[in-house]
Amino acid sequence: MKEIQRISPVVFKSSPLKTEKRDNWDVVMEYKEEGDGPFLVDLSHRPRFDLQDSNLADKKSFELELPETPGNSVLENGILASRMNRTQVSLFDLDGQDDVSMPGESYYTDVTESTVCVALFGKEIFLICEKLTALDFTDPQRKAPFFFQGPFSHVPCQIVTLNKEGESSGIVLTCSRGYGRDMIDSILHAGEEFGLKPAGESRFTHWIKSL
Amino acid sequence: MALTITCPICGKRNGYEFKFGGEEKGPRPDEKDLTPEAWCEYVHMNKCVAGVQEEWWFHKDGCGSWFKIHRDTTTNLEKEVKDENRVQKAKSGGQK
Repeated sequence: MKEIQRISPVVFKSSPLKTEKRDNWDVVMEYKEEGDGPFLVDLSHRPRFDLQDSNLADKKSFELELPETPGNSVLENGILASRMNRTQVSLFDLDGQDDVSMPGESYYTDVTESTVCVALFGKEIFLICEKLTALDFTDPQRKAPFFFQGPFSHVPCQIVTLNKEGESSGIVLTCSRGYGRDMIDSILHAGEEFGLKPAGESRFTHWIKSL
Repeated sequence: MALTITCPICGKRNGYEFKFGGEEKGPRPDEKDLTPEAWCEYVHMNKCVAGVQEEWWFHKDGCGSWFKIHRDTTTNLEKEVKDENRVQKAKSGGQK
């Protein structure tokens, strides 16, 4: 039987320096001329799941206490859990070190290949975001990580502010896969004046571990 | 002034993120002895209040929840109505 090929909806014009094959995805670890930030990293290959159940109160996922209030997120052991509403939680694997597969329970849905996922981090990223959305990712009344569902570049997205402190600020954003190319185009266009460059997964891994 | 709407889950947001769901008309009429005229009245006829009315909205660009607000149709501004259960109702799986 032929192996499936999994293709990210995100294509950067930059030339990859180092790539690796992971779970049938071609993952770029490093690009040429990544600059010194801010960075845009494609994370579409990282496993993402939706968890939906009428009773989430007594559930744990990946040994993680699920956030109780919509809009709250928890990042532990590389798994980011964000509460969408009373019945749904979205789960992102941001660590990427272990082979995370979907748990067998029927209340999980694998959304990895139906959505695009990118991370935007580094200096001045919130100035870039301000050009694309009215959502306030730096809300002083909230403690990172926290979660938004709303329009970004006019596209309904899920966005998590992972850090809002200076040069180590960063967000993770997902939207429907079909918007991938245009979303990347609009983010890179908005970030041009701030020196935003595509970066490989290594840079994201280094950043997320520093949080 | 542009319309802003307070979603019980996401908070106050731009009105363009929402889809109007019609006037609040109370519970669906009992199908027993329901005449076509009464059904037509329930489905199609609106009060079109010039003033504050209760209405349904859908957060299409956000959390996807259905909820009710009070809006003054003459000023197109949301009116705050104290309902402490509103947030709880929306978080418990939507109302519509």
